[in-house]
This record gives sequence, structure tokens and C-alpha cells, in this order.
Amino acid sequence: MIGEPILVMLVEDNMDHAELVIRTMEEHRIANRVRHFLDGQSALDYLFRREEFADPQKSPRPHVILLDLRLPRVDGIDVLKAVKESDELKSIPVVVLTTSEAEKDVARAYYNHANSYLVKPVGFEEFKKMMDDLGFYWLGWNTNPHLPD
Amino acid sequence: MYRFFQLPDFGSDERNASARLIFSLAISMGLMSVLLAAAVWIAMPALLPRALMIAGAIMLACAVSVTLICRGGIRAAGVLLVFVLWAAITAGAVTAGGIGAPVVIGYVVVIMMGGLLWKDPQRMLITVFCILTAAAIALAQQGSLLPPPIEYPPAARFGVYLFFFIIAAIIQRVSALNASELIKKVQSSEIRYRSLLENIPVTTYLSGMELESPFQYISPQIENLLGYPRANFTLDPLFWTKILHPDDAERVLEQSRRSAQTLEPFAMEYRVIAKDGRTVWLKDESVLVRDENGTPSYWLGVWTDITNLKKAEEEQTELINRLTRRTLHLQTAADVARAATSILDIEALLSQTADLIQTHFECYYVGVFLVDETGEWAVLRAATGEIGKQMINMGHRLKVEASSMIGWSITHRQARIALDVGADAVRLANPSLPLTRSEIALPLSAHGKVIGAMTIQSEKPSAFSRVDVTALQAMADLVANAIENARLFTERGLLNKELELQNEELERFTYTVSHDLRSPLVTIRGFLGYLRQDVISGNMKRFNEDLTRIANAVDKMQTLLNELLALSRVGRIANPPESVPFDAIVWEALNLLSGPLDAAKTRVKVAAEFPTVRVDRLRIVEVIQNLVSNAAKFMGDQAEPSIEIGAHGTDSDGKPIFYIRDNGIGIEPQYHERIFGLFNRLDPSIEGTGIGLTLVKRIIETHGGRIWVESERGKGATFFFTLPPA
Repeated sequence: MIGEPILVMLVEDNMDHAELVIRTMEEHRIANRVRHFLDGQSALDYLFRREEFADPQKSPRPHVILLDLRLPRVDGIDVLKAVKESDELKSIPVVVLTTSEAEKDVARAYYNHANSYLVKPVGFEEFKKMMDDLGFYWLGWNTNPHLPD
Repeated sequence: MYRFFQLPDFGSDERNASARLIFSLAISMGLMSVLLAAAVWIAMPALLPRALMIAGAIMLACAVSVTLICRGGIRAAGVLLVFVLWAAITAGAVTAGGIGAPVVIGYVVVIMMGGLLWKDPQRMLITVFCILTAAAIALAQQGSLLPPPIEYPPAARFGVYLFFFIIAAIIQRVSALNASELIKKVQSSEIRYRSLLENIPVTTYLSGMELESPFQYISPQIENLLGYPRANFTLDPLFWTKILHPDDAERVLEQSRRSAQTLEPFAMEYRVIAKDGRTVWLKDESVLVRDENGTPSYWLGVWTDITNLKKAEEEQTELINRLTRRTLHLQTAADVARAATSILDIEALLSQTADLIQTHFECYYVGVFLVDETGEWAVLRAATGEIGKQMINMGHRLKVEASSMIGWSITHRQARIALDVGADAVRLANPSLPLTRSEIALPLSAHGKVIGAMTIQSEKPSAFSRVDVTALQAMADLVANAIENARLFTERGLLNKELELQNEELERFTYTVSHDLRSPLVTIRGFLGYLRQDVISGNMKRFNEDLTRIANAVDKMQTLLNELLALSRVGRIANPPESVPFDAIVWEALNLLSGPLDAAKTRVKVAAEFPTVRVDRLRIVEVIQNLVSNAAKFMGDQAEPSIEIGAHGTDSDGKPIFYIRDNGIGIEPQYHERIFGLFNRLDPSIEGTGIGLTLVKRIIETHGGRIWVESERGKGATFFFTLPPA
């Protein structure tokens, strides 16, 4: 793990939220790199190395995926399903990061093997704390699987 | 004389008479012989021994005869008496005086006795025998074979004569007595029979062997029974055929002819018309009477009045029929009630009811009509059989007016019964139901209003009674209520479904709102924190950026709230629809959008001709506004953005179709449905709340229209929608 660049994949359609996440992570040096995707389709293209991401060199496996649920083109849940149904990708921890507190969403996420479900807090300190803890937990404490490239 | 002795009854009048005769003769002969002997003793003492001998023999014979009679041996007694008398006469003639002896006159008495006691040929035999005996005596005397005759003194001769005279007188007297008694007896028995015949409660008659011979006799009861004089029957051979009930005449005459041929007993029940016009049921039974030689001589018949019996029988049959029908009604009612309470689907209920009534009442056709929404037509909704199916498929309907039985019963709210439809002008003969002879139309009314009517038709004329109508009407009411209930239930079901849909949408709505309204809040609160940091660090560039983010998020929230409000107003607040030329709406919307459209240099081409529509004008302006600004928004890198607004014919319902076409980025077919869903956005990089198209769709739908999109990615998009015409 040490020395290996930590890659976080962020799938988020809201530019402001993405900025909040990225900024917080950078400040807290949680990740070396955050790759941001605006919709489900482009995220899947990256993960499955399609089209512009066909070259594995340009599309390294992320250590953790932060996934919003309501996404344009391909919905977050469909991205989650695709990841967890893929033998290559299913071991990547997927953390659902959304504004929705709806039970239905929580249930659907866990049913599709989400590793964690986080609701974006309203409030600056709370948001920062959560990102902090998130980084610490998934990228610090947690032992991640070794992924073949 | 015999009265002193009570003779037993010998079983028949004839035997009794014979017994009486022989008894009288025996007694009188006995007595007479005693007197004779006494007379001989006085007048001719010389002959006394012989006289005593003869008298003794006669008395002995008389005693034996009387004994025999008392023991029932009438015949033997007669034979004995006749024989003894004959023997005594013959002995007297032979021994004293030959053929000239006065005793020979006794043969006359013997012949008379024989005549009384026997019939031919014995009677003849005795006569011949007596003649022969007398002849033999005469011949013997001629041949001098007999002793010389004694000269009887006149007194003795008179004595002998007297003896026989008296016996003859007794014979005459007894036989006369017997004869008169017999006649009296016969007369009394005929009176008895006649009074019996004429008093028993039936009419008897005798009729000749010829078919058309008049009645030889008819008992007077007939006058009470039918009121016609007896003479009519006995004088006019065809009279009885004239009073036969026309419905029965044929079979009665036929049966009577058959009986006349076969000579079998005749037995029949039929109706005749009495003089006062009453119909009388008769039971006619007659048998052939033959004479002693076996030749048919006449018919002996009896007419019994069975009118009451028949009436009772008919009443019983009627009662049974009524009970059977009643049971049937109850059974049908129970079945219909079960169907009515358990079936909530109207069509199923109607067809089941029709089938139940048809089966139970064995009728030819049952149809159920319901009044349509306009109230002008009664539409056939359920009917039995193939014909029924065809008529339903043909959309059979009747005008709600008095020209048809169905229409009549709906407008009059009353059952109508036609017992022979040929004669009832109100029924419109239906060529599909040619066999109908009687029909009932029953109104179906529930909660005080007539919702339709039921027709029940039979192939039999007069198939329905008032009782049937009452029972069927009760059933019809039941069905009507059930239909109404089913209708309410269906309505409630639809309402439930709608509520469910609304609920689902509400759930989606609150969910999305909690998500989408929360989203700008996260932004606002998050960047507010950074704003403070920016101030502290003096990074004014980031401060401005963050401030813009916050301001945008606030705007976004504002827009979101406004649009949500607009969405919630659709269907809730409706302006009264007005007839507007569609181009007026288009131009109003374009005016509102002129700023942004000009800014984007979008060319808008509006067709010259548009139909007029009947709509909530403000809402449709909103629709055009939304669709046009959407089109302008998704132009991508189109160098010559253009939007075309036009009308394109009408749909199958006659609603005009409008379209808004752009040459923008287009929409992939898999998103054609999704774009109309609440908060569904395809491109996050383009401003929007995801409410616009949902709003458009809902407004179009509240106008009874439809909206759809035709597009391919990169080839522009055309939104079509329909609106009600003015």
C-alpha cells in the first residue's frame, strides 16, 4: 500500500458536491488522486475500459468508488449493479454517497452489495468530518484487496 | 186354505207358486176324497168299500205330497199328486162304469194340473197320456173287456162331478192368485228400479245400435243437469252431438264411432254446453246389452256430472303449477341474489343473471339493456345464446322512448307484458328473434333511477302471468341494485388505482424533493464553510467562486420550488377552458422567451395556419414555453439553431396534432419515456430541475391530450402533442 498512489473514483453529477468532496480530500491528503465522473455512463466506460478508456494504463483500478445514486444517463444503482456483477470489479469497495435518506435507496444499495451508505451531511464541519473519516476508514484502516490491473 | 200353513220360501216366485198350487190341491183333494167317501156311504152303500179304498189312496198320496212339499220336493209332490189322481181316475173308470163313468171328467183336472205344474213338452205329454188312457178305456169297453158299467144315480154322478168342479175351481183360483201376485210383484219391482234410476245422481240412457238412432230412454235427471227437455234426446238422433263442446266434439264422435264398430264399452270424459250456456264436464260410460240369444240389442249408458271434480282437478293442477313456479322464482331469486352479491364485475353479473333467468324460466331469450351516458339509448349489455352474442357484437341498442317495449318500460318505469306479440303493436318485431310469442320488459331501477331494462321472451304465447311479473320485477330490482353496487365498486376500484398512482407519484415526489432540495443545501452549507476559510486565507478568487456556487444553489432551490409549485397546481387549479387560435398561444409563449432565444440566435419558424383549440390558455402557454426553451437549451454545438412550430393533421380521436421540432443534440430512443419522469435529467451539464417535461406532460394530459417525442441522437428532436379542438 505504501507508495502506491491511492485512486478514488468519484461519480457525482453535481459539480458543487464534487468540488466539496475533492477539496476536502485534497486538504486532508486522503487521496493522491480523485477521478471525477459526471454520469453513470462515463464511469462505467472507465471501469470497463471502453472507448477512450480502453488503455489499461490510462484507466487504473480505483481503490474506492464514491457513488451518487441519482445520475444522468445511467443511474447510480445501475453502476453499482454492473460493478458488483463483474468478476473483475466486484472486490472494489463501493461507498454510496448521496443526499437521499430514503429507506428504499438504502435497501436497494445494500441489496446490490454496496459496501457502505453515506448521506451527505448538510453543514460544513459535518461534511468535512465525514470525508475525513471516510478517507481514514477506507483508505487508512481498511485493508483493501489487491487488484490486478 | 194354504194360509193356515206357512209354506217355506222356495227361492223363486215360480217355485213358490207351484208349491202353493200343489199344496192347495193336495189338501183339497184329501178333504174332497173324505167328503166323497161319506157321500158314497150315504147314497150308494154298495160302493163304499171301493170308495174308501180310492179315498184312502188319495189321502195317503196327499199326505205324502204335503210332506214332500214341506221338504222342498215340489216337483216330486206334483208328480205324485198328478199320478195318484190319474191312477184313481183310471181305476174308477175301469172298475165302475168304463168311459161313461163320471170320474173320467177327472182327466180334465189332471190335464189342467199338468199344465200348471209343467211346461212343454211334459204338459203335452200329460194331455196326450190322458187322451190315450181315455181312448184305451173306451176301446176296452167296446171290446167288452171291462166289467159291465154301473148305472150311477144322478146324485152320485153329481157328487163325482162336484169333486172335480171344486178341484178345478181351486186350481183356477190359485193360479189366478199366483198370476196377479206375480204381476203385482213385477210392477212393484219395475217401479223400484225406475225410481232408483230416476233418483240416483246420474243420468241413465238407453240408445239404439245405430249410430244415429235417438235415445230410447233417458232419465229425467238430464233436465236438471243440462236444462234440455228429455224429448230433445229421444226425438232428435243428433241432438247430443249438437251440444258437445267444440273442442271435444271431434274426439267424442270418433270414439263413439269406434265403439259402435268394436262394440267395446265406451268410456270418456268430455264437455257439453248446457242450455244456459254453462260448460258441463260429463263422464260418459256405456256398455252393450245383449238379449238372451247374445244379439246386441242396445247401449246402456250413464252420464255423470264431473264438473266439480274437474274444477277441483284443475284447481289442484293450477295450485301445483303455482307452487312449482313459486319455487322456481325463489330458486332463481336465490341464485340471482347469490350472483348479485358475489359478482362485482358488471358484465359477468349481467350475463350470469340473463343465463339464470333463461334456464329457470325456460324462456327463449333474455337480454339486459343499460342506458348509456347520454340517456338516449338503451344498449344491449348481456344476452343469452348465440343470437344474444351476435346482437351484442353488432352493438344492438334501442332508443329510450315508448316505441319499443324496453324503451317504454324505461321511460314509464314500469314492467310491460305482451302475451301475444303479434297483437301488441308496441313491440318492435326483432328479426333476430323470430320465434318470440310473448315478452316481458322489466325496468332496472336502483336508488330511485332507471338504469336500464331487461327483456324476457318466450316462444309460447301467454307464457307469463302477473305472478311471474311480480317475481321477475323483484329479481330485476335486485339485479339493478347489484349493477349499481358493481358500478360503484368499479368506480371505487378505479379511484383506488388512481389514488395508488398518485400515492406512488407523491412518494416519488417527496423522495425526489428531499433529495433535490437537499442537494443545493449541501452545496450552500458546504461552501459557506469554505467561504469563511477563503476570507481567513484571503483567497479572494476562491471566495468569489464559492460565493457564485452558493448563489447558484440558492437560485436553483428557488427555481425548484417555483416549478414544484407549478407542477402541484396542474389539475388542482384549473382555469375554465376557452377557445383560442393555437397561433395566439404560440406567439404569447415566444414573446415571453424572446430574450433567451435572441441571445442564443435561435431561429424560430412558426407555421401560418393553426386550428383553434379549447384549452386552459395560460397552461398551454407554459407548455410551449417549456418545450421551446428545452429545444433551445439542447442545441449542443449547432451553428444554426432553429426551432419549427407547426400543426400536423389530427389523431384517431379527431384531436389536432401539434409539433415543436429542433435541430439540436437529439435524444436516444431509450430515453424517450424517461425524459417525462419527474427529476429525470439526461445531461447534468445543462441547467434544469428535471421538472419541465413532467409539467408539460401533465398539463397536456389534464387536457385529455397525449405527448411523445421522435428523435435520434444528434439528429434533433420533435415533440408532438395533441389538444382538444374548439
